[in-house]
Amino acid sequence: MQKNYFDRVHRWGILWNIGALLMLLSIPVAISVYYNAWPELSVLWSVLSKLMLLYWVTAVIEVITYVPMLGAGGTYLSFVTGNITNLKLPVGLAAMENAKVRANTEEGEVISTIAIGVSSITTTIIIAVGVLAFSPVLPLITAEGSAFKPAFEWVLPALFGALGASYFAKHWKLVPLPVIVGVIVLIFSPTMGVGTLMFVTIVAAVLGAFGLYKAKKL
Amino acid sequence: MDFKENTFMYAIALCVVAFVTLQSVFFIVKSWKHAKELGIKKETLKNTVVSSILFTVAPAISILATVIVLANALGIVLPWIRLTVIGNLAYETTAAQTAVEAMGGTLTSSIADHQQFSTVAWAMTIGSVAPLLMLPFVCKKLQSKIGSAVNKNENAAKLGDAISAAAFIGIISAFIARAIAGTTSDGVGNAGFMSISVLIVAMVAMVILETICKKFNLEKLRPFTMPIAMFIGMGAAMLFEAVLPANITDFVWR
Repeated sequence: MQKNYFDRVHRWGILWNIGALLMLLSIPVAISVYYNAWPELSVLWSVLSKLMLLYWVTAVIEVITYVPMLGAGGTYLSFVTGNITNLKLPVGLAAMENAKVRANTEEGEVISTIAIGVSSITTTIIIAVGVLAFSPVLPLITAEGSAFKPAFEWVLPALFGALGASYFAKHWKLVPLPVIVGVIVLIFSPTMGVGTLMFVTIVAAVLGAFGLYKAKKL
Repeated sequence: MDFKENTFMYAIALCVVAFVTLQSVFFIVKSWKHAKELGIKKETLKNTVVSSILFTVAPAISILATVIVLANALGIVLPWIRLTVIGNLAYETTAAQTAVEAMGGTLTSSIADHQQFSTVAWAMTIGSVAPLLMLPFVCKKLQSKIGSAVNKNENAAKLGDAISAAAFIGIISAFIARAIAGTTSDGVGNAGFMSISVLIVAMVAMVILETICKKFNLEKLRPFTMPIAMFIGMGAAMLFEAVLPANITDFVWR
């Protein structure tokens, strides 16, 4: 049963993944054909060589880091809809925590997939409604001097503070090592992207957990 | 009419929205059915839906804000499309900026040339497709390896639980480390008074809410404690900016 359900999810996921890839690539093709304007290859290459060096390497790290935690359905959905670190991952983690299910079980799989699917639809609706109806007023809300601006500027510490508190209370022994390692890395490389930093802190946290387990202190 | 915001562009955007929504609905329906087969309570599923919506609203509005920022140069539709599929806040801005600057422009002025516009569209797309090229080959392998490792025996399951908790903590630690010592390339959101105090307020709010739930046995409130604590943190950010002197709220050590 277990093997079957995961197998099915992977089959659906791969089909949707290929569909998304085709749809995505057809966007610039459609724009180029419709306006009869193709990019100059030398310019495009000079841009892509910079971007790909940065983002294709990060992509490898992201896939390795997120796949085990998002579950199968959650992974295929998240990588198509994007905004993983700042949205899909915390939503999936929070849902599994609330429902008291473990990642990498069938229960964890369905809960995280439902949470990530709901989150994707919500985001899509908010962006679509925002663009179609509120684009004239939205700049006022997020503009310099608006009373609401700080709320959105500091949304990430608020989100991860809320998420962190419940985890940290339960597993406090695992906390100091990754935070200290993360701070040390940032002292030497202050602008390191959070995707790369996360890889370092996860490795530190897992090694710490392994050490505590071996020392029978967990 | 601006060619970046004509009917053709809106038609592409609506196709993208339809695709993403369909895929999400597909996976929700399949998971929902399987959840019932597994005997997960309807109440749990409903709570998952409502708390996920609540959790999503604020970050989604920040994403919308990025769309608006990029709209200066690219019109509103292309950023809308890009942040609906794969896109993320940091990536799309960097990709657009790199592409526009390579052609001698800036993100603050509107692109008027068809060829420049299509170059930006190509750069933003190709730069971001790597994960979709990799997933069909690696996703299943990675997951089945981890699944079989942690489900081998009781001891392995215990270690597996500890390691997955550790991995979650590793993720959260990265953001906490950034609030303590991080900087951003544009200088907005550097570690300082605001990042730390918002982090602490959200954490304390979460602990208080959980304690209230436990003490008064409020099982119904429990799924919403995390989004509520996040909103309290955001509210604190507004309050600090409104009442504290600027030399405190602007204080950064990075």
